[in-house]
Amino acid sequence: MGKQYEIPVGAQHISLLEPLHFKFTTENERIVDTAANVFYVHRGIEKACCTKFKFRQVSFVVGRVCGLCSISHTTAYSQVAEKLVKIEVPPRAKYLRMLVIELDRIHSHLLCLSHVAENSGFEALFMKTMQYREAFMELLEAVCGNRVQYDFAIVGGVARDLKPTVVLMIRERMDHFRHQLEELIDIFRNNWTLSLKNKSAGAISRDDALRLNVVGPFARAAGLAIDVRNETEDLLPWKEVGFTIVTGTSGDVYARNLVRLHEIEVSMRIIENVLDGLPESALVTETKAFPDGEAVVRIEAPRGELFYYAKGNKTQVLERLKIKAPTFSNISAMVEGFQGSEYGSAPAIIASYDPCLSCTAR
Amino acid sequence: MKTFFKALGNLFKRPVTVKYPFEKTFIPEDYRGVIGFNESLCIWCHRCESACPPGAIVFSQDMEGKQRYYYNRAVCIFCEECIRSCPKEGALYNTHQPAQCAVKEDNINNGWNILFEEALQSRAAYAAEKKRLAAEKAASAKLQAEKAAQVSKE
Repeated sequence: MGKQYEIPVGAQHISLLEPLHFKFTTENERIVDTAANVFYVHRGIEKACCTKFKFRQVSFVVGRVCGLCSISHTTAYSQVAEKLVKIEVPPRAKYLRMLVIELDRIHSHLLCLSHVAENSGFEALFMKTMQYREAFMELLEAVCGNRVQYDFAIVGGVARDLKPTVVLMIRERMDHFRHQLEELIDIFRNNWTLSLKNKSAGAISRDDALRLNVVGPFARAAGLAIDVRNETEDLLPWKEVGFTIVTGTSGDVYARNLVRLHEIEVSMRIIENVLDGLPESALVTETKAFPDGEAVVRIEAPRGELFYYAKGNKTQVLERLKIKAPTFSNISAMVEGFQGSEYGSAPAIIASYDPCLSCTAR
Repeated sequence: MKTFFKALGNLFKRPVTVKYPFEKTFIPEDYRGVIGFNESLCIWCHRCESACPPGAIVFSQDMEGKQRYYYNRAVCIFCEECIRSCPKEGALYNTHQPAQCAVKEDNINNGWNILFEEALQSRAAYAAEKKRLAAEKAASAKLQAEKAAQVSKE
């Protein structure tokens, strides 16, 4: 047994995107123990939602929980509020919500992939992925009116309709992106330099993933077929638009990259099906009811299962709102995943977890 | 070899980045931008004020009853909730223009909070004044009615 060193990473570190602190215990380059602290950015959003804002305004507040999965949070909250006021959403609004969620998933996965490439030391691939991602940022801007804060789902439906010119723009960009995605899959699968940092780094077995309650692409890369889109049909008709689950086998960074890339393919198929079969109906169901009772909603955010609980008391302001972000479920597995990896590949492993800590700490 | 030719080809490609402050970036036609206000159409129902999530709209009222609309582009989150809640079409509209940056002179935090409080107080003061005048009027009307009743009795 060699001498052990403790190396802290974070909360401010060049390879970290978010305020996250890891303390690695290493033995000759190899990580033997890890401790994590993730709650650096507590903002008290849950409390604000239950005191300062009316229940219709909360869907805009929760959109600010996360910059990347903003639409997942707004949609999840809108669904939970719709359950409380007991209204049904028009079918067109459901399809438009799915469209924006999938566009958002593509840009979020591309961001994660680009950061894995950057943290593995492949700067050119980082630039390339970010360049391709820009097309989807512009699409989201054309659909929702803003690059980051979509504010698309509101209680009862969606805020804006889809213009025919935007539909054409989406189809054009998707056709263009298909070749770019093939190129990315080729690089992520076959590049030798990238494989040195990615293959067998940060691996987690299927049993461990099950035991540690992992969600999202992290779990699917380990071979665990967990996806909310596969399980629930009542709120958004995922099966109707051609959703299929993507899983990997090895559970390492390489498998996570490939799961994300293939999920982008699935998302593109869903978007095309939504555009082909967009039903005609109103956009919003109007109601004057106040929220009453309790409700729970699960939705598949880009990082995994997002959970919303809300309780109303027949007033404008909610009594309780609980948000459980996907990264929160993954923390214990994140710590476990480092075991046995080299310290040099730790940045790539952190990026491949795709941690979203502003979601987690709210 | 393939990589070599690709690298050579890249030498003659245009850059993908945009020189942002000098060149315009992509902004769609229906961009969610600054909210415009048409005073002649407004019916002063204050629905936009109560719907606005961050509180970027407030109405003040002077003692003659004249109302004034205040809007803070730096507090606004451009969610268009005010436009959706507006019962009069065209009174509030989206200009589709991005907001200017807030500068120190705008004093957006303290200045706006003070203004917001003062606007609410001015409306409360006007309502109280109106109530007092109405009560006075009612009292004088009652007095006159009593006098008239006395006269008719005599």
